Amino acid sequence: MKRLDCLKAIAGTVGDALVVGSAGGATVEWYHLHPSEGNFRSRTLGLASSIGLGIALSLPQRKVIVLDGDGSLLMNLCGLPTAAWAAPPNLIHIVFDNQVYESSGSSPTATAGPTDLVAIAKAAGFPRALWVHDVDAFATAVADALSAHELTFIGAKVEHGIVPGIASPTMDDAENKYRFMRHIENLEGRKIFGSGYPDL
Amino acid sequence: MKTGGDLVADALVAAGINFICTLPDWNMARLIERIGQENSWIHVRLGREEEGVGICAGAYLTGKTPALVMQNGGLLNSVNGLTTTSLQFGIPTLLVVYYAGDINSRYFSTVGDITEPVLEALGIRHYILRDRAAVMQTIAGATVLTMDSKRPVAVLLNRDLLRSEGP
Repeated sequence: MKRLDCLKAIAGTVGDALVVGSAGGATVEWYHLHPSEGNFRSRTLGLASSIGLGIALSLPQRKVIVLDGDGSLLMNLCGLPTAAWAAPPNLIHIVFDNQVYESSGSSPTATAGPTDLVAIAKAAGFPRALWVHDVDAFATAVADALSAHELTFIGAKVEHGIVPGIASPTMDDAENKYRFMRHIENLEGRKIFGSGYPDL
Repeated sequence: MKTGGDLVADALVAAGINFICTLPDWNMARLIERIGQENSWIHVRLGREEEGVGICAGAYLTGKTPALVMQNGGLLNSVNGLTTTSLQFGIPTLLVVYYAGDINSRYFSTVGDITEPVLEALGIRHYILRDRAAVMQTIAGATVLTMDSKRPVAVLLNRDLLRSEGP
C-alpha cells in the first residue's frame, strides 16, 4: 500500500476538517493533493499530534486530522496517553507507518522490529484504534472516524519511498500560520487578531 | 491566607489565560491544584513538557491565550519545540517556570546555572518572580508581551515565593 494512494482516497472526502501534517513526506503529498487554508505543517518532529490535540480541544465543533509518521510518533509517544486522557472526540490521528525515518535517510524505526503502534495507542487509552491494510479499508476507516464522535487512531502500514515529482510546499512557516488562522477566523466567524488586548 | 501558588493562579486567571498545560513540580503542587480547580481554561496534563509547546501552539492557532506550566528541567526538555515551533512560526506562549536552582533551593543548582543563559540564547525574554507584590503585574504584563510579540515569554518562579503565605 502506498501512502499517496491512501491520501488520494480521502482528499475529496475530508470536507472542512482541519489537517495538521508532521515534518515528513505525508505532509508534502497532502499539500500537493489537497491544497487548503485549513492545512498546517509542523516543523518539529513529534509535535504534529500535539498541535492537532491543541486545535481539537479548542475547537470541539471541528474535525481535526493529524497526518503523522512512525518516526514522528515514536519521538512523542507520551502524547498518546495525553491525548487519550484529554479525549477530544473530534480528533483523528492517522499514522503512516513505513518503518523507516524516510526524510532523514531511511534508516529503520522500531516498528521495523517488534513495536506495534496501534497496540500502544489502545494501551494508552484510545477508544478506537485500528490497523488498515489496503486503500479501501483506509478510506472507510477515515470516513467512519469523520462521522463518529470518538477519538480515533488509524495505523496504515505503507511502503516507503518518496514519490518523484512532488515538490515540497513553498509556503513560508509564518505564512502558513497566518493563512491557517485567517481560515479559522472565517470558519468560526470571529476575529483572532486584534482582539483581546487594547491597542496602546 | 494565600500561598504564592495561589497568587500565581489568581494572576493567570486575571491575565486572561484560557488554555493551560501543566507538568508538576513539588513546589508548584498548590499552583497546579488551583489550576485544576479553575474553570477559566482548558487544562491539559502532560507527560513531557515539549508536547505542551505543541498543544499550546495548536490552541493559539484557534485564538486561545496559552500558558505552559513546568519546571526549568522541563524547559530544557522543550528547547527544540520552542525553537522550531514557537519561535520559527511566531507563536506566543506564556512559560510559567519553577526556577529550581535559584537562590535558597537545593539539589538542582546545575539546572539553575544554565536556565537564564538558555533563555537568553533562545531570545526568550524572562522575568524572575521572587516577590509576592510583583506577581499580578508581572504575569499580566508578560501575557500581553507574549501575545503582542508572538514569541514565548518566560516567568521564573522562585521557591520562596511559591511557599510564601500572606493575605
